[in-house]
Amino acid sequence: MKDISNKIREIAQTLFKEKKIDVFLGWEKGALDFQTVPFIARSEADARKLVFDEYSIHNLATLLLKFRDGSEKIGIAAKGCDSRSIVRLLEDKQFARERLHIIGVGCPGMKDPLQAIGMYSGLKKQQGDGNALAAKCYECVQPNPVIYDDLVGSQQPSRLTGERFARVNAMEQMNADERYRFFEDTLSKCIRCYACRQVCPACNCRTCIFDEMKPQWVGRENSPEDNMMYHLVKASHMAGRCVECGECERVCPVNIPLMLLNQKLIKDVNTFFGPYEAGMNYVEGAKPPLSSYSEKDPDDFI
Amino acid sequence: MKVLSKSKLETALNKLNQSAEVFLPMQKDKESGFYSWKLFNQGQDELMLNALNVYLPPKNVVLPQTERMYSIKQEGQEIKIDKTFEDSSPRVIFGARPCDLKAILCMDDVFLTRGYEDSFYKCRREAITIVANACFQPGPACFCAAMEINPLEPAGADVIICDAGEAYSWEAKTPKGEALTAQITEYLEEKSLSLPAAKPFVQDVKYEGVAEKLKGMFNNHIWERLGESCHNCGICTYVCPSCYCFDIQVKMWGDEGYRFRCWDSCMYEEYSREAGGGNPRGSGIERFRNRFLHKLEFFKERYGTPLCTGCGRCIVACPAGINIVKIIDEIKEAELDA
Repeated sequence: MKDISNKIREIAQTLFKEKKIDVFLGWEKGALDFQTVPFIARSEADARKLVFDEYSIHNLATLLLKFRDGSEKIGIAAKGCDSRSIVRLLEDKQFARERLHIIGVGCPGMKDPLQAIGMYSGLKKQQGDGNALAAKCYECVQPNPVIYDDLVGSQQPSRLTGERFARVNAMEQMNADERYRFFEDTLSKCIRCYACRQVCPACNCRTCIFDEMKPQWVGRENSPEDNMMYHLVKASHMAGRCVECGECERVCPVNIPLMLLNQKLIKDVNTFFGPYEAGMNYVEGAKPPLSSYSEKDPDDFI
Repeated sequence: MKVLSKSKLETALNKLNQSAEVFLPMQKDKESGFYSWKLFNQGQDELMLNALNVYLPPKNVVLPQTERMYSIKQEGQEIKIDKTFEDSSPRVIFGARPCDLKAILCMDDVFLTRGYEDSFYKCRREAITIVANACFQPGPACFCAAMEINPLEPAGADVIICDAGEAYSWEAKTPKGEALTAQITEYLEEKSLSLPAAKPFVQDVKYEGVAEKLKGMFNNHIWERLGESCHNCGICTYVCPSCYCFDIQVKMWGDEGYRFRCWDSCMYEEYSREAGGGNPRGSGIERFRNRFLHKLEFFKERYGTPLCTGCGRCIVACPAGINIVKIIDEIKEAELDA
């Protein structure tokens, strides 16, 4: 991993030197060993601080959105999941491809700094010996970048060993009442901090439906009804867009299994409109399912 | 001194539970927070009085995330306030750590002083008795002492308990605390107990002078750098024991409805959006700066104490790894713009 870190730093420094980029989105070390934090480098000197290590888990594609209205040329380090997010942002025309210089990284799987600091601080219960990868990384089907200008690190195998969508399949076995109770229970815990939305690379709307006040589409009460409305509307918006980076579930302070909803929709989009996996390859002008409109649509409700 | 043996703790809680709802630090499934003793599932849940602290603070007991204020009925041209929901049912917060206790005192300042008393808050707060659990072993992310708190003798508690292994020392500090003590007097013993020695803090945080220095730093360049990786989610404000901002909204169905208040977060764009559509804190960086200025400068100016109590929860929860301790350090080191 040290090798990957050095290469990212070298490439970023060269890109700054040759004036090919104005900013580089990567990671730097935080105050504690397991705190590796997103970092926006703006100069060759800044680029010396860049690191890539076992805690570089954040999906940096969300940071890209901070630059969408500018004209800066942007360098970015991208693991498999991050790169799929970038493809989706390109498909949604948030950026011109020419503005990006992508350093793809074959991802060996990441540890979760939130788990680590939770246990270190004493605020979270000890789980395992701390050497395990983040839960989401064990479900990863695309550790290698799907779009890049430079490639560092070695090709990595898929880490999904069990059945794909195992949790979804189990949920589908429940009857309607059981499922309702399950979601009512788990979504009642939500504190509406919107961390799941803010870290989501697919959430690129300029004005989010949940922030609109006139009309207010979704109530702000912390109640099972309003919470369900928030989560179900959010998940529906992710259909065809979620790249399974799992950041929403990872950052949730109350452990809501958000990827269960997202994976159900990934599975359904694939079944009904597929074959389709979001953000797997970038074809300029391609229209993913649910993002195009045709008068000849066979469904008469349109 | 008065002593509550740990073997009698659950019986004492059952006794208190007869006349008040008792909230305690608990682990429930994967979550930890302050939950009602009535919801404690023997064998599944775990009491966390011995743990350093729990992930979600007891803020919800004092200032519920959603609180119905009054219901409304429209009759012709008239609007009638149908019912007011002030809640004065007795509650006990049992085992709040000094950081979380101080956070409640900060909220008392906001809702009960400077010329306005919030009746909803006042009603609920007056019926709450707080048993504080003194801290002898600060955790690695703790820095309450730097934020002007005495973790061994926290101010404002009705009762202070100290964990001495097999038993808690029990010291009533206020008339409310005396009343609580009287309820469980049959479970308290009179004996001497040797309390553990206080351990030093792991983190060295130097807050002195920060509020004063921040007066000249509103336009400082450091905010851009410190805040640019912030996602502007509300996680830090909602796990914070002292963030008290709320919004008041209404739900109507035809001629009937109710007004409620709910937590709000200064991190949200909508929070500072004005009726005409303008927003004095339109950018994420401005909202980020506001949060830290409020915690470290504005509150101190108005109430004489910082609004951060050093519990460390925001550091633990932040998806982007933003660390208020590092921000305090950076403020100390920053050069003032000429």
